[in-house]
Amino acid sequence: MTEPIVKLENVKKYFPIRGGVFSRVVGNIKAVDDISFSIQKGETLGLVGESGCGKSTLGRTILKLLDPTAGKVFYKDFDIFATQKEELRNLRREMQIIFQDPYSSLNPRLNVGEIVGECLEIHGIAYGREKQEKVESMLEVCGLAPHHRRRYPHEFSGGQRQRIGIARALTLNPDFIVADEPISSLDVSIQAQIVNLMEELQEKFGLTYLFISHDLSMVRHISDHVAVMYLGKIVEISGKKELYQNPLHPYTQALLSAVPVMDPDHKSKRIILRGDVPSPANPPQGCNFNPRCIYAEEHCRNEEPELRDVGSGHQVSCHLVEKM
Amino acid sequence: MPDLLEVKNLYTSFHTEDGVVPAVNGITFNLKHGESLGIVGESGCGKSVACLSIMRLIDHPGKIKADAIKLDGVELQSLSEKKMRTIRGNEMAFIFQEPMTSLNPVYTIGFQLQEAIQLHQGLNKKQSRTKSEEMLKMVGIPRAEKVFDEYPPSLSGGMRQRAMIAMALSCEPKILFADEPTTALDVTIQAQILELMNDLKQRINTSIIFISHDLGVISEMVDRVIVMYCGSIIEDADIRTIIKNPKHPYTFGLINSKPRIDVDLDKLIPIPGSVPNPLNIPSGCPYQPRCESAMDICKSKIPGKSQINEGHHVSCWLFSKQGGKIKS
Repeated sequence: MTEPIVKLENVKKYFPIRGGVFSRVVGNIKAVDDISFSIQKGETLGLVGESGCGKSTLGRTILKLLDPTAGKVFYKDFDIFATQKEELRNLRREMQIIFQDPYSSLNPRLNVGEIVGECLEIHGIAYGREKQEKVESMLEVCGLAPHHRRRYPHEFSGGQRQRIGIARALTLNPDFIVADEPISSLDVSIQAQIVNLMEELQEKFGLTYLFISHDLSMVRHISDHVAVMYLGKIVEISGKKELYQNPLHPYTQALLSAVPVMDPDHKSKRIILRGDVPSPANPPQGCNFNPRCIYAEEHCRNEEPELRDVGSGHQVSCHLVEKM
Repeated sequence: MPDLLEVKNLYTSFHTEDGVVPAVNGITFNLKHGESLGIVGESGCGKSVACLSIMRLIDHPGKIKADAIKLDGVELQSLSEKKMRTIRGNEMAFIFQEPMTSLNPVYTIGFQLQEAIQLHQGLNKKQSRTKSEEMLKMVGIPRAEKVFDEYPPSLSGGMRQRAMIAMALSCEPKILFADEPTTALDVTIQAQILELMNDLKQRINTSIIFISHDLGVISEMVDRVIVMYCGSIIEDADIRTIIKNPKHPYTFGLINSKPRIDVDLDKLIPIPGSVPNPLNIPSGCPYQPRCESAMDICKSKIPGKSQINEGHHVSCWLFSKQGGKIKS
């Protein structure tokens, strides 16, 4: 059994809602509500969920790009939320992020060499010629040419920009990368290029990924473990194979059945969910999912289920697992 | 009976300061009564512009040129703008991709629904209100009477798209253009909307042109598919043939580069390179720089349409009788 590289313990991130004359806090958006799991070294954890379920917020909170409300995140042996300034900056060398939109996440005024090499200077690793050489080799690793160093982001296509974003994340030789919807703004034919690149790099550098996406097919392809999020909570987490073949939470079942299958002979037993995702400012009583759940019973409306292990690391948060 | 829609050699180009962008480059296709046709392609391949051109919704600096755009045998290009307005919304309707931006936020849902109904069907205010509420109920909007008086921002994305569909179907159009109607929605909401559209398709006899980049969505919705690349149709066939037995290397690439929800794949096979700049489309076959089977002739001459089977056509030198060898 390998060591977990990242471990979350009861992480919460609430955004206060302010109102009234004195801008008092009148409520909380519970974007991330009491989440615990761990990621093993060298594996990919896929984090799926619909928009607004808090998956990006969770990714950013893990890296302390957002200040957490409560809980703990351990990276190797460091308690990330307890580290400050210098120590945190050193830790950031080992944990990086790839953003969703390669159009807005690259500074248009900097050339590619500056974007990719900036972090080398900030961390005092390489300057001048040495920095340039490192940047050039990193660009080549990511499928770009060394001379692209002098160009500006607007000269590149979406797929190439995402390669720049990946090169930037990798220059510091990190161990852990949060990939926040890295492919969702790319064209279909380009998505596969980027995912293949990420897989190659993982093998080459022994990276650990948290792969955040709403694309369930892509998550199935890239992940080892998959966590399903709904309204700020993990509703199911398990090994990929187990989760896709034997989903236990009604939400996971509906989510998987909703994905269109590229096969005209496919007879879908589609579970159509009623209604929309409730507002996270005012989540339903009891189980978050009960208003849309077809199996919901009386105690689902009153009592909140906990994430339980149902065997071989398959965790589900549903009162009715045994009946599924 | 003639086909419902007949499009022959449609060219749409945008005359920009940087040069001419040939967004649609001579496409020809037909749509039968009651048929649902899918148009697949990546962003910028001209699939939306082609449909907007048919409805004459292209603004300056765009120019539309075609040998024929016939709706039920009537040549649309010869109609005046005034006559065209009686056709738009009435005989041909459009559902846009972004339900957030395609509804006017300062008018109520009801107002926007009634507008088309009053204009095209000559109903008075009271009658059109009843009809609008019926439409909202038909597309599965709960408490339709209330929603009628609400403004678009108070509805969720899925509800807004339902309202858009109600609006598009309110005059029982002969053709419904659906331009990526579910792309901006979450997958569970997408499933709701696709289910609704499939259900409505059976209830009212409207022909649908369904535009999408997602072959999965297309394969659930349509009978026949057109695959577009760089403004041209490169392959067309019924949905089964396209998915099970594609011929054009680009169609192949589109299918192979997508991971499957039902099958584990070892490795994805991406299409190399990226879509060319529309101002600078490569010579010969537009797909040639990305194509692994490219031959010399592909670089110099644009391939014509070859028939593989009844109803299955492909524009590729690999399958052309003149030049090139036949390979499967």
